[in-house]
Amino acid sequence: MTLAAADVEVRYETRTAVRRTTISLEPGELVALVGPNGAGKSTLLRALAGLVAHAGTVTWCGHALARLDGRTRARTVAYLPQNPPVHWPLASRELVALGRLPHRPYAAQETPADVSAVTVAMRQTDTLEFAARSVSRLSVGERARVLLARALAVEAPVLLADEPIAMLDPYHQLDVMGTLRSYTAGRDTERKRLVVVVLHDLGLAARFCDRVLLMDDGAVVGDGPPEETLAPAAIRAHYRVEPFIARHDGEPSIVPWRSLRGPGEG
Amino acid sequence: MSATERSGGSTALAAGLGLLALLAAAGSLVIGRDGGGPTFGFGGPELAETIVREIRLPRTLLALLVGGTLGLCGAALQGLLRNPLAEPGLLGASSGAAFGAVVMFYFGFAGASSLLLPLGAVAGSLLALAVLYALAGRRGDFLTIVLAGIAINALAAALTSLALNFAPSPYAALEILFWMLGSLADRSLAHVYLALPLMVPGWLLVVAAARGLDALTLGEDTARSLGFDPKRTQALVIGGTALAVGAAVAVTGVVGFIGLVVPHLLRGAVGQHPSRLLLPSFLGGALLATLADIAIRLLPPGPELKLGVVTALLGAPFFLHLVMRSSARDGSAP
Repeated sequence: MTLAAADVEVRYETRTAVRRTTISLEPGELVALVGPNGAGKSTLLRALAGLVAHAGTVTWCGHALARLDGRTRARTVAYLPQNPPVHWPLASRELVALGRLPHRPYAAQETPADVSAVTVAMRQTDTLEFAARSVSRLSVGERARVLLARALAVEAPVLLADEPIAMLDPYHQLDVMGTLRSYTAGRDTERKRLVVVVLHDLGLAARFCDRVLLMDDGAVVGDGPPEETLAPAAIRAHYRVEPFIARHDGEPSIVPWRSLRGPGEG
Repeated sequence: MSATERSGGSTALAAGLGLLALLAAAGSLVIGRDGGGPTFGFGGPELAETIVREIRLPRTLLALLVGGTLGLCGAALQGLLRNPLAEPGLLGASSGAAFGAVVMFYFGFAGASSLLLPLGAVAGSLLALAVLYALAGRRGDFLTIVLAGIAINALAAALTSLALNFAPSPYAALEILFWMLGSLADRSLAHVYLALPLMVPGWLLVVAAARGLDALTLGEDTARSLGFDPKRTQALVIGGTALAVGAAVAVTGVVGFIGLVVPHLLRGAVGQHPSRLLLPSFLGGALLATLADIAIRLLPPGPELKLGVVTALLGAPFFLHLVMRSSARDGSAP
Protein backbone atom coordinates (compact mmCIF):
# COMPACT_ATOMS: atom_id res chain seq x y z
CA MET A 1 0.00 0.00 0.00
CA THR A 2 2.16 2.78 -1.30
CA LEU A 3 1.53 5.85 -3.41
CA ALA A 4 4.68 6.09 -5.47
CA ALA A 5 5.76 8.66 -8.01
CA ALA A 6 8.61 7.57 -10.26
CA ASP A 7 10.43 10.15 -12.40
CA VAL A 8 7.36 12.35 -12.52
CA GLU A 9 7.94 15.51 -14.50
CA VAL A 10 5.38 18.11 -15.56
CA ARG A 11 6.11 20.57 -18.33
CA TYR A 12 3.97 23.47 -19.36
CA GLU A 13 4.63 25.13 -22.68
CA THR A 14 7.63 27.19 -21.70
CA ARG A 15 8.70 25.92 -18.33
CA THR A 16 9.06 22.81 -16.22
CA ALA A 17 6.65 23.04 -13.29
CA VAL A 18 7.78 19.83 -11.60
CA ARG A 19 11.26 18.47 -12.23
CA ARG A 20 11.88 14.73 -12.29
CA THR A 21 10.57 13.66 -8.90
CA THR A 22 10.58 10.26 -7.24
CA ILE A 23 8.79 9.89 -3.92
CA SER A 24 7.07 7.12 -2.01
CA LEU A 25 4.27 7.82 0.45
CA GLU A 26 2.76 5.36 2.93
CA PRO A 27 -0.72 5.12 4.46
CA GLY A 28 -0.84 6.37 8.03
CA GLU A 29 1.26 9.39 7.11
CA LEU A 30 0.12 12.98 7.25
CA VAL A 31 2.46 14.61 4.74
CA ALA A 32 2.83 18.36 4.42
CA LEU A 33 3.78 19.69 1.00
CA VAL A 34 5.37 23.09 1.54
CA GLY A 35 7.39 25.62 -0.42
CA PRO A 36 7.27 29.20 -1.65
CA ASN A 37 4.75 30.44 -4.25
CA GLY A 38 5.30 28.91 -7.65
CA ALA A 39 7.44 26.06 -6.30
CA GLY A 40 5.24 23.45 -8.04
CA LYS A 41 3.29 22.17 -5.01
CA SER A 42 -0.14 22.31 -6.64
CA THR A 43 1.17 20.84 -9.89
CA LEU A 44 2.82 17.92 -8.09
CA LEU A 45 -0.41 17.33 -6.19
CA ARG A 46 -2.42 17.35 -9.42
CA ALA A 47 0.07 14.94 -10.99
CA LEU A 48 -0.36 12.60 -8.01
CA ALA A 49 -4.13 12.87 -8.51
CA GLY A 50 -3.75 12.03 -12.20
CA LEU A 51 -5.20 15.35 -13.33
CA VAL A 52 -2.29 16.70 -15.34
CA ALA A 53 -0.29 15.13 -18.16
CA HIS A 54 3.16 14.15 -16.90
CA ALA A 55 6.19 12.08 -17.71
CA GLY A 56 6.95 9.15 -15.43
CA THR A 57 4.39 7.10 -13.53
CA VAL A 58 2.29 7.37 -10.40
CA THR A 59 1.36 4.02 -8.88
CA TRP A 60 -0.89 2.90 -6.04
CA CYS A 61 -0.08 -0.57 -4.69
CA GLY A 62 1.98 -1.13 -7.82
CA HIS A 63 -0.86 -0.27 -10.25
CA ALA A 64 -0.42 2.74 -12.50
CA LEU A 65 -3.15 5.23 -11.57
CA ALA A 66 -3.48 6.33 -15.19
CA ARG A 67 -4.57 2.83 -16.19
CA LEU A 68 -7.24 2.40 -13.52
CA ASP A 69 -10.79 3.05 -14.70
CA GLY A 70 -12.19 6.40 -13.62
CA ARG A 71 -14.41 5.15 -10.84
CA THR A 72 -11.76 2.97 -9.21
CA ARG A 73 -9.26 5.80 -9.32
CA ALA A 74 -11.85 8.17 -7.86
CA ARG A 75 -12.46 5.79 -4.96
CA THR A 76 -8.71 5.46 -4.38
CA VAL A 77 -7.57 9.08 -4.58
CA ALA A 78 -9.70 11.98 -3.32
CA TYR A 79 -8.56 15.40 -4.44
CA LEU A 80 -9.48 18.82 -3.08
CA PRO A 81 -8.39 21.66 -5.37
CA GLN A 82 -7.47 25.06 -4.05
CA ASN A 83 -10.56 27.32 -4.24
CA PRO A 84 -12.64 25.09 -6.53
CA PRO A 85 -15.60 26.78 -8.25
CA VAL A 86 -19.12 25.98 -7.05
CA HIS A 87 -21.28 26.52 -10.13
CA TRP A 88 -24.71 25.78 -8.64
CA PRO A 89 -25.70 26.92 -5.13
CA LEU A 90 -26.51 23.46 -3.78
CA ALA A 91 -27.40 22.94 -0.14
CA SER A 92 -24.22 22.17 1.83
CA ARG A 93 -25.22 18.60 2.49
CA GLU A 94 -25.95 17.98 -1.20
CA LEU A 95 -22.55 19.35 -2.10
CA VAL A 96 -20.83 17.04 0.41
CA ALA A 97 -22.83 14.10 -0.98
CA LEU A 98 -21.18 14.67 -4.39
CA GLY A 99 -18.15 13.01 -2.79
CA ARG A 100 -20.12 9.76 -2.81
CA LEU A 101 -20.62 9.74 -6.61
CA PRO A 102 -17.76 7.27 -7.24
CA HIS A 103 -19.38 4.83 -4.80
CA ARG A 104 -22.85 4.84 -6.28
CA PRO A 105 -23.90 2.77 -9.24
CA TYR A 106 -25.95 4.61 -11.80
CA ALA A 107 -28.63 6.87 -10.28
CA ALA A 108 -28.98 4.74 -7.14
CA GLN A 109 -30.36 6.19 -3.92
CA GLU A 110 -27.93 6.90 -1.08
CA THR A 111 -26.99 3.80 0.89
CA PRO A 112 -26.59 3.85 4.69
CA ALA A 113 -22.82 3.89 4.06
CA ASP A 114 -23.23 7.05 1.94
CA VAL A 115 -25.37 8.75 4.58
CA SER A 116 -22.91 7.82 7.32
CA ALA A 117 -19.86 9.00 5.33
CA VAL A 118 -21.53 12.35 4.60
CA THR A 119 -22.59 12.86 8.20
CA VAL A 120 -19.17 11.92 9.60
CA ALA A 121 -17.41 14.23 7.14
CA MET A 122 -19.70 17.12 8.05
CA ARG A 123 -19.32 16.53 11.77
CA GLN A 124 -15.53 16.45 11.42
CA THR A 125 -15.51 19.75 9.56
CA ASP A 126 -18.02 21.39 11.91
CA THR A 127 -20.46 22.00 9.05
CA LEU A 128 -23.52 20.00 10.17
CA GLU A 129 -25.23 23.13 11.49
CA PHE A 130 -25.59 24.56 7.99
CA ALA A 131 -26.29 21.28 6.22
CA ALA A 132 -29.52 22.64 4.70
CA ARG A 133 -28.14 26.08 3.86
CA SER A 134 -27.19 26.97 0.28
CA VAL A 135 -23.43 27.21 -0.20
CA SER A 136 -23.98 30.63 -1.77
CA ARG A 137 -25.00 31.86 1.66
CA LEU A 138 -21.88 30.68 3.49
CA SER A 139 -18.79 32.68 4.34
CA VAL A 140 -15.59 31.85 2.45
CA GLY A 141 -14.23 29.87 5.40
CA GLU A 142 -17.47 27.96 5.93
CA ARG A 143 -17.58 27.10 2.25
CA ALA A 144 -13.97 25.89 2.38
CA ARG A 145 -14.94 23.50 5.20
CA VAL A 146 -17.93 22.18 3.25
CA LEU A 147 -15.64 21.55 0.27
CA LEU A 148 -13.19 19.72 2.53
CA ALA A 149 -16.08 17.62 3.85
CA ARG A 150 -16.88 16.72 0.22
CA ALA A 151 -13.35 15.37 -0.21
CA LEU A 152 -13.41 13.55 3.16
CA ALA A 153 -16.74 11.92 2.25
CA VAL A 154 -15.07 9.98 -0.56
CA GLU A 155 -13.35 7.98 2.23
CA ALA A 156 -10.52 7.23 -0.17
CA PRO A 157 -7.29 5.66 1.10
CA VAL A 158 -5.46 8.68 -0.36
CA LEU A 159 -6.52 12.28 0.23
CA LEU A 160 -4.72 15.09 -1.60
CA ALA A 161 -5.74 18.52 -0.30
CA ASP A 162 -4.48 21.81 -1.73
CA GLU A 163 -4.36 24.51 0.96
CA PRO A 164 -7.52 23.41 2.78
CA ILE A 165 -6.93 25.74 5.74
CA ALA A 166 -5.85 28.93 3.97
CA MET A 167 -9.25 30.60 4.45
CA LEU A 168 -10.03 29.32 7.95
CA ASP A 169 -10.04 31.06 11.32
CA PRO A 170 -7.47 29.84 13.90
CA TYR A 171 -9.98 27.58 15.68
CA HIS A 172 -10.90 25.77 12.49
CA GLN A 173 -7.30 25.66 11.24
CA LEU A 174 -6.38 23.64 14.34
CA ASP A 175 -9.59 21.66 14.07
CA VAL A 176 -9.04 20.71 10.43
CA MET A 177 -5.42 19.72 11.05
CA GLY A 178 -6.68 17.44 13.82
CA THR A 179 -9.29 16.03 11.45
CA LEU A 180 -6.68 15.29 8.77
CA ARG A 181 -4.51 13.71 11.45
CA SER A 182 -7.30 11.37 12.53
CA TYR A 183 -8.26 10.70 8.87
CA THR A 184 -4.86 9.00 8.42
CA ALA A 185 -5.78 6.53 11.17
CA GLY A 186 -8.81 5.38 9.15
CA ARG A 187 -12.28 4.72 10.49
CA ASP A 188 -11.25 1.28 11.64
CA THR A 189 -7.62 1.07 12.69
CA GLU A 190 -6.65 -1.63 10.19
CA ARG A 191 -7.10 0.59 7.15
CA LYS A 192 -4.71 3.47 7.51
CA ARG A 193 -4.89 6.28 5.02
CA LEU A 194 -2.49 8.72 3.43
CA VAL A 195 -3.05 12.47 3.48
CA VAL A 196 -0.92 14.92 1.50
CA VAL A 197 -1.72 18.52 2.34
CA VAL A 198 -0.33 21.70 0.82
CA LEU A 199 0.30 24.21 3.61
CA HIS A 200 1.78 27.66 4.04
CA ASP A 201 1.70 27.63 7.84
CA LEU A 202 5.05 26.07 8.71
CA GLY A 203 4.21 25.94 12.41
CA LEU A 204 1.13 23.79 11.80
CA ALA A 205 3.08 21.65 9.34
CA ALA A 206 5.76 21.06 11.94
CA ARG A 207 3.29 20.28 14.73
CA PHE A 208 0.74 18.07 12.99
CA CYS A 209 2.58 16.33 10.15
CA ASP A 210 4.74 13.22 10.26
CA ARG A 211 6.67 14.16 7.20
CA VAL A 212 7.32 17.34 5.28
CA LEU A 213 8.12 17.62 1.58
CA LEU A 214 9.77 20.96 0.81
CA MET A 215 9.64 22.11 -2.79
CA ASP A 216 11.47 24.94 -4.49
CA ASP A 217 11.64 25.78 -8.20
CA GLY A 218 9.85 22.58 -9.27
CA ALA A 219 12.04 20.19 -7.29
CA VAL A 220 11.58 18.41 -3.98
CA VAL A 221 14.53 19.79 -2.02
CA GLY A 222 13.69 18.35 1.36
CA ASP A 223 11.90 15.19 2.46
CA GLY A 224 11.85 13.99 6.02
CA PRO A 225 10.52 14.64 9.51
CA PRO A 226 9.55 18.28 10.15
CA GLU A 227 12.50 19.18 12.35
CA GLU A 228 14.84 18.06 9.57
CA THR A 229 13.08 19.51 6.51
CA LEU A 230 12.09 22.72 8.25
CA ALA A 231 15.47 23.41 9.80
CA PRO A 232 16.27 27.15 9.98
CA ALA A 233 18.90 26.89 7.24
CA ALA A 234 16.39 25.31 4.82
CA ILE A 235 13.74 27.93 5.61
CA ARG A 236 16.27 30.70 5.02
CA ALA A 237 17.49 29.19 1.76
CA HIS A 238 14.15 28.36 0.17
CA TYR A 239 11.64 30.77 1.73
CA ARG A 240 14.06 33.70 2.06
CA VAL A 241 12.81 34.44 5.58
CA GLU A 242 14.48 34.37 8.95
CA PRO A 243 12.38 32.03 11.11
CA PHE A 244 11.62 32.43 14.77
CA ILE A 245 11.49 28.96 16.27
CA ALA A 246 10.27 28.27 19.78
CA ARG A 247 8.84 25.35 21.69
CA HIS A 248 5.61 25.32 23.65
CA ASP A 249 4.25 22.28 25.51
CA GLY A 250 7.09 20.32 23.94
CA GLU A 251 5.97 21.12 20.39
CA PRO A 252 7.69 23.32 17.84
CA SER A 253 6.38 26.67 16.70
CA ILE A 254 7.76 28.29 13.58
CA VAL A 255 7.03 31.92 12.84
CA PRO A 256 8.44 33.67 9.76
CA TRP A 257 10.07 36.67 11.38
CA ARG A 258 11.83 38.78 8.78
CA SER A 259 12.20 38.58 5.02
CA LEU A 260 15.76 38.17 3.79
CA ARG A 261 16.85 39.85 0.60
CA GLY A 262 18.67 37.61 -1.79
CA PRO A 263 21.90 38.61 -3.53
CA GLY A 264 21.36 41.37 -6.04
CA GLU A 265 18.07 42.52 -4.55
CA GLY A 266 19.57 45.60 -2.95
CA MET B 1 -33.77 17.52 5.69
CA SER B 2 -32.35 14.29 4.37
CA ALA B 3 -31.28 13.42 0.85
CA THR B 4 -34.16 11.00 0.55
CA GLU B 5 -36.63 13.76 1.31
CA ARG B 6 -34.93 15.98 -1.24
CA SER B 7 -34.93 13.48 -4.06
CA GLY B 8 -38.43 12.52 -2.91
CA GLY B 9 -39.34 16.17 -3.48
CA SER B 10 -38.06 16.10 -7.05
CA THR B 11 -39.89 12.80 -7.68
CA ALA B 12 -43.12 14.43 -6.48
CA LEU B 13 -42.39 17.43 -8.69
CA ALA B 14 -41.86 15.14 -11.69
CA ALA B 15 -45.07 13.24 -10.92
CA GLY B 16 -47.03 16.50 -10.66
CA LEU B 17 -45.61 17.87 -13.92
CA GLY B 18 -46.24 14.56 -15.66
CA LEU B 19 -49.87 14.61 -14.54
CA LEU B 20 -50.32 18.20 -15.68
CA ALA B 21 -48.74 17.37 -19.05
CA LEU B 22 -51.19 14.48 -19.47
CA LEU B 23 -54.13 16.75 -18.59
CA ALA B 24 -52.89 19.38 -21.04
CA ALA B 25 -52.51 16.70 -23.71
CA ALA B 26 -56.09 15.53 -23.08
CA GLY B 27 -57.22 19.16 -23.38
CA SER B 28 -55.25 19.56 -26.60
CA LEU B 29 -57.13 16.59 -28.09
CA VAL B 30 -60.57 18.13 -27.51
CA ILE B 31 -60.03 21.88 -27.79
CA GLY B 32 -60.34 23.31 -31.31
CA ARG B 33 -59.96 26.77 -32.84
CA ASP B 34 -61.71 29.40 -30.73
CA GLY B 35 -62.36 26.77 -28.07
CA GLY B 36 -64.82 24.85 -30.23
CA GLY B 37 -65.12 21.05 -29.97
CA PRO B 38 -63.63 18.79 -32.64
CA THR B 39 -66.31 19.43 -35.31
CA PHE B 40 -68.05 22.56 -34.02
CA GLY B 41 -71.26 20.51 -33.89
CA PHE B 42 -71.20 19.50 -37.55
CA GLY B 43 -70.93 15.94 -38.77
CA GLY B 44 -71.26 12.69 -36.91
CA PRO B 45 -69.04 10.99 -34.35
CA GLU B 46 -66.98 9.39 -37.15
CA LEU B 47 -65.90 12.81 -38.36
CA ALA B 48 -64.98 13.84 -34.83
CA GLU B 49 -62.99 10.66 -34.38
CA THR B 50 -61.16 11.19 -37.66
CA ILE B 51 -60.28 14.75 -36.75
CA VAL B 52 -58.94 13.75 -33.37
CA ARG B 53 -56.94 10.85 -34.75
CA GLU B 54 -55.57 12.48 -37.89
CA ILE B 55 -55.10 16.06 -36.78
CA ARG B 56 -55.21 16.55 -33.05
CA LEU B 57 -53.32 13.43 -31.99
CA PRO B 58 -50.17 14.08 -34.09
CA ARG B 59 -50.24 17.72 -33.06
CA THR B 60 -50.52 16.83 -29.37
CA LEU B 61 -47.89 14.10 -29.51
CA LEU B 62 -45.47 16.42 -31.28
CA ALA B 63 -46.07 19.18 -28.73
CA LEU B 64 -45.18 16.75 -25.93
CA LEU B 65 -42.15 15.31 -27.73
CA VAL B 66 -40.71 18.58 -28.99
CA GLY B 67 -41.38 20.45 -25.74
CA GLY B 68 -39.90 17.60 -23.71
CA THR B 69 -36.83 17.43 -25.94
CA LEU B 70 -36.20 21.16 -25.68
CA GLY B 71 -36.68 21.16 -21.88
CA LEU B 72 -34.42 18.15 -21.34
CA CYS B 73 -31.66 19.33 -23.67
CA GLY B 74 -31.82 22.86 -22.23
CA ALA B 75 -31.37 21.51 -18.70
CA ALA B 76 -28.48 19.29 -19.78
CA LEU B 77 -26.73 22.09 -21.70
CA GLN B 78 -27.09 24.47 -18.76
CA GLY B 79 -25.50 21.81 -16.57
CA LEU B 80 -22.73 21.12 -19.08
CA LEU B 81 -21.85 24.77 -19.65
CA ARG B 82 -22.68 25.61 -16.02
CA ASN B 83 -24.53 28.62 -17.26
CA PRO B 84 -28.26 29.29 -16.83
CA LEU B 85 -28.35 31.15 -20.16
CA ALA B 86 -27.49 28.09 -22.25
CA GLU B 87 -30.12 26.50 -24.49
CA PRO B 88 -30.24 24.19 -27.53
CA GLY B 89 -30.18 27.07 -30.02
CA LEU B 90 -26.80 28.06 -28.58
CA LEU B 91 -24.89 25.18 -30.15
CA GLY B 92 -26.19 25.91 -33.62
CA ALA B 93 -28.20 22.66 -33.72
CA SER B 94 -31.47 24.54 -34.30
CA SER B 95 -30.17 26.99 -36.91
CA GLY B 96 -28.24 24.23 -38.65
CA ALA B 97 -31.40 22.17 -38.87
CA ALA B 98 -33.33 25.18 -40.15
CA PHE B 99 -30.74 25.74 -42.86
CA GLY B 100 -30.89 22.08 -43.86
CA ALA B 101 -34.64 22.35 -44.27
CA VAL B 102 -34.39 25.61 -46.20
CA VAL B 103 -32.03 23.98 -48.67
CA MET B 104 -34.72 21.38 -49.31
CA PHE B 105 -37.31 24.13 -49.83
CA TYR B 106 -34.97 26.05 -52.06
CA PHE B 107 -34.33 23.21 -54.43
CA GLY B 108 -37.99 22.41 -54.44
CA PHE B 109 -37.55 18.96 -52.90
CA ALA B 110 -40.03 19.70 -50.15
CA GLY B 111 -42.88 19.38 -52.62
CA ALA B 112 -41.61 16.02 -53.86
CA SER B 113 -41.88 14.19 -50.57
CA SER B 114 -42.93 15.33 -47.12
CA LEU B 115 -40.00 13.32 -45.70
CA LEU B 116 -37.22 15.12 -47.53
CA LEU B 117 -37.66 18.31 -45.56
CA PRO B 118 -37.19 16.69 -42.13
CA LEU B 119 -34.29 14.64 -43.41
CA GLY B 120 -32.64 17.83 -44.62
CA ALA B 121 -33.13 19.34 -41.16
CA VAL B 122 -31.55 16.38 -39.35
CA ALA B 123 -28.63 16.47 -41.79
CA GLY B 124 -28.22 20.22 -41.16
CA SER B 125 -28.25 19.72 -37.39
CA LEU B 126 -25.67 16.95 -37.55
CA LEU B 127 -23.54 19.02 -39.93
CA ALA B 128 -23.66 21.98 -37.53
CA LEU B 129 -22.57 19.74 -34.66
CA ALA B 130 -19.82 18.17 -36.78
CA VAL B 131 -18.49 21.66 -37.51
CA LEU B 132 -18.77 22.46 -33.80
CA TYR B 133 -16.68 19.43 -33.01
CA ALA B 134 -14.11 20.29 -35.67
CA LEU B 135 -13.83 23.81 -34.22
CA ALA B 136 -13.99 23.05 -30.52
CA GLY B 137 -14.17 19.33 -29.84
CA ARG B 138 -10.50 18.64 -29.54
CA ARG B 139 -9.73 21.55 -27.28
CA GLY B 140 -12.94 20.77 -25.45
CA ASP B 141 -13.12 23.78 -23.16
CA PHE B 142 -16.57 25.21 -22.71
CA LEU B 143 -15.90 28.80 -23.72
CA THR B 144 -14.64 27.59 -27.10
CA ILE B 145 -17.84 25.60 -27.54
CA VAL B 146 -19.99 28.67 -26.88
CA LEU B 147 -17.97 30.80 -29.30
CA ALA B 148 -18.07 28.08 -31.95
CA GLY B 149 -21.85 27.83 -31.45
CA ILE B 150 -22.21 31.57 -32.02
CA ALA B 151 -20.14 31.33 -35.20
CA ILE B 152 -22.20 28.40 -36.50
CA ASN B 153 -25.45 30.23 -35.73
CA ALA B 154 -24.24 33.28 -37.62
CA LEU B 155 -23.13 31.21 -40.59
CA ALA B 156 -26.36 29.21 -40.73
CA ALA B 157 -28.39 32.44 -40.54
CA ALA B 158 -26.31 33.98 -43.33
CA LEU B 159 -26.73 30.94 -45.57
CA THR B 160 -30.46 30.85 -44.84
CA SER B 161 -30.71 34.52 -45.83
CA LEU B 162 -28.76 33.77 -48.98
CA ALA B 163 -31.25 31.05 -49.88
CA LEU B 164 -34.12 33.48 -49.24
CA ASN B 165 -32.38 36.08 -51.37
CA PHE B 166 -32.19 33.72 -54.31
CA ALA B 167 -35.57 32.11 -53.71
CA PRO B 168 -37.13 31.16 -57.06
CA SER B 169 -40.39 32.96 -56.26
CA PRO B 170 -41.84 35.19 -53.55
CA TYR B 171 -44.14 32.32 -52.74
CA ALA B 172 -41.19 30.00 -52.06
CA ALA B 173 -39.56 32.64 -49.84
CA LEU B 174 -42.79 33.02 -47.90
CA GLU B 175 -43.08 29.27 -47.47
CA ILE B 176 -39.55 29.09 -46.11
CA LEU B 177 -40.18 31.97 -43.72
CA PHE B 178 -43.38 30.46 -42.38
CA TRP B 179 -41.76 27.09 -41.88
CA MET B 180 -38.89 28.67 -39.95
CA LEU B 181 -41.30 30.32 -37.53
CA GLY B 182 -42.00 26.96 -35.94
CA SER B 183 -45.44 25.40 -35.86
CA LEU B 184 -47.32 22.26 -34.93
CA ALA B 185 -50.19 22.81 -37.35
CA ASP B 186 -50.91 20.35 -40.19
CA ARG B 187 -48.61 17.61 -38.91
CA SER B 188 -49.33 13.92 -39.29
CA LEU B 189 -48.34 10.76 -37.46
CA ALA B 190 -45.65 10.30 -40.14
CA HIS B 191 -43.83 13.22 -38.53
CA VAL B 192 -44.04 11.49 -35.17
CA TYR B 193 -42.65 8.27 -36.62
CA LEU B 194 -39.88 10.20 -38.26
CA ALA B 195 -38.82 12.15 -35.18
CA LEU B 196 -39.19 9.56 -32.44
CA PRO B 197 -36.47 7.11 -33.55
CA LEU B 198 -33.98 9.98 -33.49
CA MET B 199 -35.25 11.63 -30.33
CA VAL B 200 -35.20 8.56 -28.09
CA PRO B 201 -31.49 7.76 -28.55
CA GLY B 202 -30.79 11.47 -28.13
CA TRP B 203 -32.64 11.51 -24.80
CA LEU B 204 -30.80 8.40 -23.63
CA LEU B 205 -27.41 9.90 -24.45
CA VAL B 206 -28.28 13.06 -22.51
CA VAL B 207 -29.60 11.12 -19.51
CA ALA B 208 -26.43 8.98 -19.47
CA ALA B 209 -24.52 12.19 -18.71
CA ALA B 210 -26.62 12.99 -15.63
CA ARG B 211 -24.11 12.14 -12.91
CA GLY B 212 -21.28 13.67 -14.90
CA LEU B 213 -23.25 16.93 -14.83
CA ASP B 214 -23.52 16.69 -11.03
CA ALA B 215 -19.77 16.18 -10.78
CA LEU B 216 -19.15 19.24 -13.00
CA THR B 217 -20.83 21.40 -10.35
CA LEU B 218 -17.42 21.64 -8.65
CA GLY B 219 -15.43 22.30 -11.81
CA GLU B 220 -13.58 20.11 -14.27
CA ASP B 221 -10.71 19.09 -11.95
CA THR B 222 -13.04 17.86 -9.24
CA ALA B 223 -15.26 16.14 -11.82
CA ARG B 224 -12.27 14.21 -13.11
CA SER B 225 -11.11 13.37 -9.59
CA LEU B 226 -14.61 11.94 -8.99
CA GLY B 227 -14.16 9.66 -12.00
CA PHE B 228 -16.20 11.58 -14.58
CA ASP B 229 -14.28 12.70 -17.65
CA PRO B 230 -15.72 16.10 -18.68
CA LYS B 231 -15.01 15.29 -22.34
CA ARG B 232 -17.20 12.22 -22.16
CA THR B 233 -19.97 14.18 -20.43
CA GLN B 234 -19.66 16.81 -23.13
CA ALA B 235 -19.79 14.28 -25.98
CA LEU B 236 -22.91 12.67 -24.51
CA VAL B 237 -24.77 15.95 -24.01
CA ILE B 238 -23.80 17.50 -27.35
CA GLY B 239 -24.36 14.32 -29.36
CA GLY B 240 -27.69 13.67 -27.67
CA THR B 241 -28.80 17.27 -28.20
CA ALA B 242 -27.86 17.15 -31.88
CA LEU B 243 -29.99 14.06 -32.45
CA ALA B 244 -33.00 15.06 -30.39
CA VAL B 245 -33.13 18.78 -31.24
CA GLY B 246 -32.31 18.11 -34.89
CA ALA B 247 -35.28 15.76 -35.04
CA ALA B 248 -37.49 18.28 -33.22
CA VAL B 249 -36.60 21.15 -35.56
CA ALA B 250 -37.07 18.78 -38.47
CA VAL B 251 -40.75 18.31 -37.73
CA THR B 252 -41.77 21.66 -36.22
CA GLY B 253 -39.30 24.31 -37.33
CA VAL B 254 -37.48 26.44 -34.78
CA VAL B 255 -39.26 26.70 -31.42
CA GLY B 256 -37.08 28.78 -29.13
CA PHE B 257 -36.78 29.57 -25.45
CA ILE B 258 -38.56 26.50 -24.02
CA GLY B 259 -35.11 25.00 -23.39
CA LEU B 260 -34.09 28.19 -21.61
CA VAL B 261 -37.15 29.02 -19.57
CA VAL B 262 -38.27 25.62 -18.29
CA PRO B 263 -35.04 24.46 -16.59
CA HIS B 264 -34.63 27.90 -15.13
CA LEU B 265 -38.07 27.94 -13.53
CA LEU B 266 -37.64 24.44 -12.08
CA ARG B 267 -34.05 24.66 -10.85
CA GLY B 268 -34.93 26.00 -7.41
CA ALA B 269 -37.53 23.27 -6.88
CA VAL B 270 -34.92 20.51 -7.26
CA GLY B 271 -32.37 22.16 -4.96
CA GLN B 272 -30.23 23.31 -7.95
CA HIS B 273 -29.19 19.71 -8.59
CA PRO B 274 -28.23 19.34 -12.31
CA SER B 275 -29.19 15.66 -12.62
CA ARG B 276 -32.47 16.01 -10.73
CA LEU B 277 -33.41 18.84 -13.07
CA LEU B 278 -33.47 16.62 -16.18
CA LEU B 279 -36.74 14.70 -15.80
CA PRO B 280 -38.78 17.65 -14.46
CA SER B 281 -37.46 19.81 -17.33
CA PHE B 282 -38.52 17.18 -19.86
CA LEU B 283 -42.03 17.04 -18.41
CA GLY B 284 -42.19 20.81 -17.88
CA GLY B 285 -41.13 21.42 -21.49
CA ALA B 286 -43.80 19.01 -22.73
CA LEU B 287 -46.38 20.80 -20.58
CA LEU B 288 -45.36 24.29 -21.69
CA ALA B 289 -45.33 23.44 -25.41
CA THR B 290 -48.77 21.80 -25.16
CA LEU B 291 -50.25 24.74 -23.25
CA ALA B 292 -48.75 27.23 -25.71
CA ASP B 293 -50.24 25.27 -28.61
CA ILE B 294 -53.69 25.26 -26.91
CA ALA B 295 -53.39 29.00 -26.27
CA ILE B 296 -52.76 29.58 -29.98
CA ARG B 297 -56.10 27.93 -30.80
CA LEU B 298 -57.98 30.00 -28.22
CA LEU B 299 -56.81 33.33 -29.66
CA PRO B 300 -59.32 35.35 -31.73
CA PRO B 301 -59.87 34.25 -35.34
CA GLY B 302 -57.45 35.32 -38.03
CA PRO B 303 -54.26 33.77 -39.35
CA GLU B 304 -53.08 31.23 -36.77
CA LEU B 305 -50.11 32.42 -34.71
CA LYS B 306 -47.04 30.19 -35.05
CA LEU B 307 -45.85 28.32 -31.96
CA GLY B 308 -42.29 29.58 -32.40
CA VAL B 309 -43.59 33.16 -32.45
CA VAL B 310 -45.52 32.67 -29.21
CA THR B 311 -42.60 31.05 -27.36
CA ALA B 312 -40.25 33.77 -28.60
CA LEU B 313 -42.65 36.54 -27.54
CA LEU B 314 -42.84 35.08 -24.06
CA GLY B 315 -39.25 33.85 -23.86
CA ALA B 316 -37.26 36.83 -25.13
CA PRO B 317 -38.32 39.20 -22.31
CA PHE B 318 -37.61 36.40 -19.84
CA PHE B 319 -34.14 35.96 -21.32
CA LEU B 320 -33.53 39.71 -21.06
CA HIS B 321 -34.64 39.62 -17.43
CA LEU B 322 -32.14 36.81 -16.71
CA VAL B 323 -29.29 38.63 -18.42
CA MET B 324 -30.00 41.84 -16.51
CA ARG B 325 -30.27 40.01 -13.22
CA SER B 326 -27.06 38.06 -13.69
CA SER B 327 -25.13 41.15 -14.82
CA ALA B 328 -26.49 43.02 -11.80
CA ARG B 329 -24.97 40.22 -9.74
CA ASP B 330 -21.52 40.80 -11.07
CA GLY B 331 -21.89 38.30 -13.88
CA SER B 332 -21.86 35.31 -11.55
CA ALA B 333 -24.30 32.42 -11.82
CA PRO B 334 -27.56 33.23 -10.03
